[in-house]
Amino acid sequence: MALYDKLFSALGLSDWCGDSVDGAPLSLSDLSVRAGGEEVSGPFFPIPSLDNLHESCNRVWQSRDVTNGIEEGFLAAKPALKTVLDPITQPLSWMLDGSLWLFEATPWFIMVPFLVAISWYASRSRPVTIFVAASIMLLAVVDHYDVAMQTLSIIFVCTTISVLFGVPIGIAMSKSDRLQKGVVPILDLLQTLPTFVYLIPLIFLFSVTESKLYGIAIILYAIVPVIRLTDLGIRLVDQDVIEAANAFGMNDRQKLMQVQLPLALPNIMAGINQTIMMSLAMVVIASLVSAPGLGVNVLRGIRNLELGVGIVAGIGIVLLAVILDRVSKAALTRVDKTQVKH
Amino acid sequence: MTQPMVSLRGLYKIFGVRDKEMLHHVQGGMCKEELLAHHKHVLGLNNINIDMQAGEITVVMGLSGSGKSTLIRHLNRLIEPTAGEIIVQGEDVMGLPEDRLRHARQEKMSMVFQKFALLPHKTVLKNAGMPLSVRGEDEATCDREALKWLNRVGLSGFENQYPAQLSGGMQQRVGIARALTANTPIMLMDEAFSALDPLIRTDMQDLLLELQKELHKTIVFISHDLDEALKLADHLVILKDGLVVQQDEPQHILLNPNDPYIEDFVSDINRARVLRVRSIMTPLDDGKVPKDAHGEVEVSDTLESMITRSGGDTSHAYVVKDGEKTVGTLDMTELVRALVPRVASEAGARQS
Repeated sequence: MALYDKLFSALGLSDWCGDSVDGAPLSLSDLSVRAGGEEVSGPFFPIPSLDNLHESCNRVWQSRDVTNGIEEGFLAAKPALKTVLDPITQPLSWMLDGSLWLFEATPWFIMVPFLVAISWYASRSRPVTIFVAASIMLLAVVDHYDVAMQTLSIIFVCTTISVLFGVPIGIAMSKSDRLQKGVVPILDLLQTLPTFVYLIPLIFLFSVTESKLYGIAIILYAIVPVIRLTDLGIRLVDQDVIEAANAFGMNDRQKLMQVQLPLALPNIMAGINQTIMMSLAMVVIASLVSAPGLGVNVLRGIRNLELGVGIVAGIGIVLLAVILDRVSKAALTRVDKTQVKH
Repeated sequence: MTQPMVSLRGLYKIFGVRDKEMLHHVQGGMCKEELLAHHKHVLGLNNINIDMQAGEITVVMGLSGSGKSTLIRHLNRLIEPTAGEIIVQGEDVMGLPEDRLRHARQEKMSMVFQKFALLPHKTVLKNAGMPLSVRGEDEATCDREALKWLNRVGLSGFENQYPAQLSGGMQQRVGIARALTANTPIMLMDEAFSALDPLIRTDMQDLLLELQKELHKTIVFISHDLDEALKLADHLVILKDGLVVQQDEPQHILLNPNDPYIEDFVSDINRARVLRVRSIMTPLDDGKVPKDAHGEVEVSDTLESMITRSGGDTSHAYVVKDGEKTVGTLDMTELVRALVPRVASEAGARQS
């Protein structure tokens, strides 16, 4: 790295850099120097990376210092974060465990008709209801009823919480351009961050035995569409109608409840549909951190190369996804229809 | 005359972030184009002074971009003026805090919109009852009142339909019923009939005049259509580039346009149908009734009906009656002359 050596001496930083007493393990090139006695000549103008600069100047960090720094920083902040986040998120664990218990404790001959009834109530569509009944029975026949119910229970809790938080956040965003500007990058980040990356800091923060660990990961991932579409839906409400509401002297609350939310409902429902789909996607990955359900079987299929187990579980997930999607979409079109009856 | 229901005093509106700073340019006589070119601000309204009398229909007319829709939105402060006073029933709307302003919008002014602006997710009945439910009236009262006015505007039997199921004309009837349900002394109508096709529009104008005959509301009507303006107006205000070009009784404007802009406007009008005997008769000074009169006519007769009556004979003359009283004479030669648009009269110099 002769070039950077010269650069540092030209800048008069040789003293500041100090002697190249290297405490770091030998690199491959160092080894080859020792073995052959001949320096491997690198490229004339190597990329100015931290590691390359470090070879010329000891004071410059190595790249692994950066990752170490992040880790240490996170670990240092962990106790404080934990004292704050632990009590706040504790109810999530209770809800997940409670719902899991409820779904498992309810005997199938009550649960299945109940689910079918819900899909009928939401969709009012006979084909959809029949499809739901058939799919659940199919899962039951291949002994996947219990795991499917576990997955459903997690989705149920996480979607409910996402909607409870997401809709008000979306409303607040639609009211304030500044808030929207601040929140949108966070939503972009949550949506683009690889799903596995969510899990890493959470594993450090919470114990893997706690169900809130996967709960938080799923909610963070799945809450995005409902926030986005609530914000969008309210912003898209016809300005003429808003003007009329103002002209007749509605206050903000009346405007929100009687005009904006009802007119934004189709968009909000589309957001909820997306939220359900995304929590299903995440619940499979969350099986890595002890989330029960169909994902565990998929994981087993990968780990033990049990092809059949993995594929049956995979098909089960697809069935569940189709059920949830069809029921929520049918509910959405029903809402849409009451808006514009022709 | 008594105190006007609504009066606008020195109203200015400049669109842009630094509107207050631009005010002195406008007051110094800068026109709309200059302001836009040099300061990137749009002049909406320029020193508007209008009195709107109780029980009258004031029509504000102008082409698109003349600021008429901006003007009407100042009355209930949907748009904030840059400067000026808006006095409604003796109270300055500009000084109202938010809750009183909302109250004023609920109790004093109702509005009818060009694009109807009905709530698509509510039935016609609930739409018409909306102003009352906003005020916190119970549902039975809202429905009763709404039903009453829906019947009045000719929408009996449609109350459980949704707005999207109705035609444009019917939707605007709901819009009018909604404004009437509010039972406010002032009605603001922003190009209320412009989106409707011509025949329906005529129907709606007749409906409005019929309602006005019994309700005597103070109506502010925005229009870009001179025929409509002349038909409805008790007081006509003509706007151009945010400036009041002329305001007067419509017949007077038609006979004495004071600006080439208005002359252009009035030149295509069927004057015989619009002008009335009252506007062109020779007033009677000393109570002498001409002997050779061919008959008696009413002051409110249109010139068209006079032409039919005289059979086109310009030598005829008539005695004009206002009820029982003889008020003037009408020479058919005068009448024919009045049918030709006059050059802008020097007398009516530019106002404001």
